[in-house]
Amino acid sequence: MTHLVQAIALGLLIGGVYALMASGLTLIFGVMRIINIAQGAFLILVAMLTWWLWHETGIDPILASVVTTPLMFGFGWVAYRLLLSRIRGSSASMSVLLTFGFALVIEGILNITAGNKFKSATPSYFEESFRVGGVSLPKAQVFGFLAAMAVLAVLYFVLTRTWTGRAIRAATQNPSGAALVGVGAASTAALAFAIGTATTGVGGSILSVLYPFFPASHYDWISRLLGIVVLGGMGSLPGALIGAGILGLAETLTATYGSLNWSTLVFYIVIMVVLLFRPQGLFGAKLREDTV
Amino acid sequence: MLSLKGVVAGYGGGSVLQGVDLECAPQTITCIVGPNGAGKSTVLRVISGLLKPSSGEISMNGEAIADRSPDEILRRGITQVPQSHALFPTMSVRENVLMGGYLIRKDRALLRERLDMVLERVPIVATRANDNAGNLSGGQRRMVEIARCLMLDPKLILLDEPSLGLDPRSLAGVAGLINELNQAGTTVLLVEQNVRLGLGLATHGVVMEGGKVRLTGTATAIKDDPEIASLYLGGASGSSPGGPSSGGPSSGGPKTETTSV
Repeated sequence: MTHLVQAIALGLLIGGVYALMASGLTLIFGVMRIINIAQGAFLILVAMLTWWLWHETGIDPILASVVTTPLMFGFGWVAYRLLLSRIRGSSASMSVLLTFGFALVIEGILNITAGNKFKSATPSYFEESFRVGGVSLPKAQVFGFLAAMAVLAVLYFVLTRTWTGRAIRAATQNPSGAALVGVGAASTAALAFAIGTATTGVGGSILSVLYPFFPASHYDWISRLLGIVVLGGMGSLPGALIGAGILGLAETLTATYGSLNWSTLVFYIVIMVVLLFRPQGLFGAKLREDTV
Repeated sequence: MLSLKGVVAGYGGGSVLQGVDLECAPQTITCIVGPNGAGKSTVLRVISGLLKPSSGEISMNGEAIADRSPDEILRRGITQVPQSHALFPTMSVRENVLMGGYLIRKDRALLRERLDMVLERVPIVATRANDNAGNLSGGQRRMVEIARCLMLDPKLILLDEPSLGLDPRSLAGVAGLINELNQAGTTVLLVEQNVRLGLGLATHGVVMEGGKVRLTGTATAIKDDPEIASLYLGGASGSSPGGPSSGGPSSGGPKTETTSV
C-alpha cells in the first residue's frame, strides 16, 4: 500500500514538472501550428546554463530560473522574429524541419562549449527527502513540482485574465476571427513563442537537478514532450496537464511494479491505445461544431 | 462615405474582382447581390483589409485605406462580420464580445461604456454571457458576432450573408438588429444570397457579376428591374430577360455601370 501511495505521489510530482515543460510546446503549436522540435534543446540549453550558474556562483539551481526565464523569453522572441517568422503560413512539416535544424545547432554549440558528458546540478538538499506518513518525497522533486505549479498558475492567469492572453487564445482558436477584431497575427505569434520558450527557463532549471543531462539528451526530452502533447490533444493546455500526469504516473507505477526499463514504453502504449479511440487526443474539441 | 474605384483583387494567380466601382452614402444600407463567384464576399474582404487589392482605390471619408492593415481599418470605424467562423468557440460569449473592443482595451471606462451599450442592444450577450460561443445556435452566434463588432462603435458595418443558415425567427431578429443599427446612424454594406430579404432590408442595391458591378440603384429599383427579377427572384410578371434597363438619369432608377478592366 505504501508502495502504491509512494508511486502515485512521485508520479504526480514528476507529472507536474512534465506539465510545465509540455505547456510551452502545446501553446506554441496552438497559436502558430509550429511543432517546435527545438523545445527539448531549449530545455537542455537552460539546464546547461543553470548548471554553470550553480557551479560558478553556488546559486540554487531551481532559483536560477529567476535568471533563465527572462533570458529565454527574450531568446524566444528574437528566435521567432529572426527565424520562425520566415515560415509563417507554411505547413507544419516545414516547422519540424526548421526547428529540428535549430535543435541540432544548439546541440552542436553545447557539444563544443560544454563538452559531451553528463552533468547534474547537485544542491545541498539533493539527497534529502521529506517524510510524510511513511512516504518519502525527495526535496528536489517537491521543489521542482512547486516551481512548476507556480509557473503554470502564472501562465493560466496571463492567458485568462490579461488582454495579451485573450489575444493569444483568440488567435489559437480562430486566426481570421482574431484579425477581424484587430489582433495582429505577427506580434501575437512572437509573444506566444516567447512565452512558450520562457517556460523552458524554469523547466530547464528544474531538469538540471532532477535528471542528469548531456547535449544530446534533447532527443529524449522532445519525444516525451511530443508524446504528452499528442496524448492530450495538440494545442490544448488542459490536455498537456493531463497527458503529463499520465506520463508521470505510468513511469513511476511501471518502475515500482514492473521494471524501470519498461517505464517509458508503457506510456507510449497508453498513447497508442488512446489514439485508436480518440485520434484528436484526450482534449479534442467537443463543441456543437469543431469551429464556430 | 465609402468609395471603391477600379478595384482589382484575387487569391493566388487569378483576379476575382476585375475593376469594381462602388459607393456607399452615409446612413444607407447597401446590399450586394449576384450569382456565386461574382466576387461579393471578396469586395468585403478587400474593404476590411483581409485581402490586399492589386490595383484600384478604396477610400473612407476621403482617406485612402487600400494599403492599410486590418487593425488600422478597424480604427477608422469599419468592422466586418464574416459569413461564419468568426467567434472564438471556447471563449465565453462575454469574452468574445469583449474581444471586439481589443483596440480600445487601454481605455477601461470606454470599454465598460461600450459593453453596457452592447448588452442593452443585444440582450443575448447578457443572457448567455458565460456560455461558450461554440455552444450557441446559428442565430445566436450571428447576434453575438454583430454584437462583438459594435464594441468599436463602427461607422460602417460589413455583413457577409447575415441570413446564412438561420431559421425564419432568428432571421427576423438579425434583420431587426441591422435596421436598428442603421437607424442609430450606422452605415451598412451587406452581401446576401437571399436577394428578396437583402434588397427588402436595404436602401440601395448593387448587382455584381463576374467580378464587376453590373447595376446600381435604389433597392426598390433593383428589385423591380425585370432582368434581376427573372434572374434572382424566380421570374417577374411579364418581363422578357433583355439587357438591363439602361434608363437615363431618372433619379433613383437603376443605371448601368460602366466598368473598366
